[in-house]
Amino acid sequence: MSIGFGAFLFSFANLFVFGDIADTSDITGALLGICVGFVFIGIGLSIWWRQDLSFDGSYEPKAVGAPFKNIDIRKVAMWVFLWSEMMIFSSLFSTYIRYRVGLPKCENLYNDLVASGELVSGTAYTCYEPASQLIAASWWHLAPGAINTFALILSSFTVVQALRYAKMPDLDEEVRRKKIYRYLACTTMLACLFLTLKMVEWFIGFNVFGHEIPSLVSEGYTIHAANYQPHWAHGGDFMANIRVSASIFFVTTGTHGIHVLAGVIGLLYLTLKAYRGGFNPDNAVTIEYFGLYWHFVDLVWVLVFPFFYLF
Amino acid sequence: MSHTILGKDAYWMNMWGLMILTAIEVGAVGIDLSRSTTLLILIGIGIPKFLMIAGIFMHLTGDKDSRILTVTALFPTVFILIMVIFIGLTHPDATTALPAICRPGYYGL
Repeated sequence: MSIGFGAFLFSFANLFVFGDIADTSDITGALLGICVGFVFIGIGLSIWWRQDLSFDGSYEPKAVGAPFKNIDIRKVAMWVFLWSEMMIFSSLFSTYIRYRVGLPKCENLYNDLVASGELVSGTAYTCYEPASQLIAASWWHLAPGAINTFALILSSFTVVQALRYAKMPDLDEEVRRKKIYRYLACTTMLACLFLTLKMVEWFIGFNVFGHEIPSLVSEGYTIHAANYQPHWAHGGDFMANIRVSASIFFVTTGTHGIHVLAGVIGLLYLTLKAYRGGFNPDNAVTIEYFGLYWHFVDLVWVLVFPFFYLF
Repeated sequence: MSHTILGKDAYWMNMWGLMILTAIEVGAVGIDLSRSTTLLILIGIGIPKFLMIAGIFMHLTGDKDSRILTVTALFPTVFILIMVIFIGLTHPDATTALPAICRPGYYGL
């Protein structure tokens, strides 16, 4: 599966030439690579799920050596996997900190230029324009991100509830089946809500109660915005090159979104398995391990939301 | 793990705690506060939220294997700190913008 992801990511990157899709004559190889990547991922997932679908909990291998002696090997493996995930998001946060601190904030730069009379019309100044300047400007703008935060917290709760009923001894099997698949289905719907609102926030925008909220992209906040005109400049001459800040925002929140999407795929499988009555106290660990991943996704959002949406 | 907080279900209480903290977080942005105060509030709320998810939802407290798994989870912290510190050091103003107590010469060296 790792080979599949590698092939997919490498080929997908080759589809683009700095903000634009490459010429059609140049992307045949990239498209082929993407297909190969998908095939490998699909094979990996199907083998993985085929093994898990028949897993009845009768043989859960334990670690035999210190320091993880007598802990399920799959649980340890999940934590080691989460290490690598922590490093990925740490690198993204480090990039954010580096440029947030290193580049002048656009609004401050603008004020300085106006005060000193050095503002040159038609010149794009490289500066840091946090997405929160747009998003936190009004409650309506902030609504999708805030709802998403509540949705992820609620989804973390529904996952642990599914695990609780899966592990509960002396529970009628039909009641168990219904409880587990309903909680997992709720989690899936909340994850889909998250992704939908993310798309609305990035690309679509919305209009409620007479409030027309444009998307970030239609506001010009894009990864190739070299001549961005901030709304707080009130149509003045100030233009900002915000490629760095927009890239950091979209890459970080996008990476998180990809993790949510991967979670949706896993949740669909778990929900199907639960619907078929596939979980009992002996094999509930599958939900527990997925839950660790899902809570981690929530954990990352707890940091992404305040620093990318509010501050 | 202990399944109750203040006599109520731990997961339920945790979820509501997180919801309330998030509401405060969002509300704090709507109030006209200085940027440093806002940052302090966001960090002050973010840390307990982080701990609540890790501790209760991810079972890093209360279970028999919680201690070793907490150490496991904290392991990358070393690398994360190194990453963040070195990013600080690569900042163009790192040597001049640091507080005086952090700069050479302050202790007469």
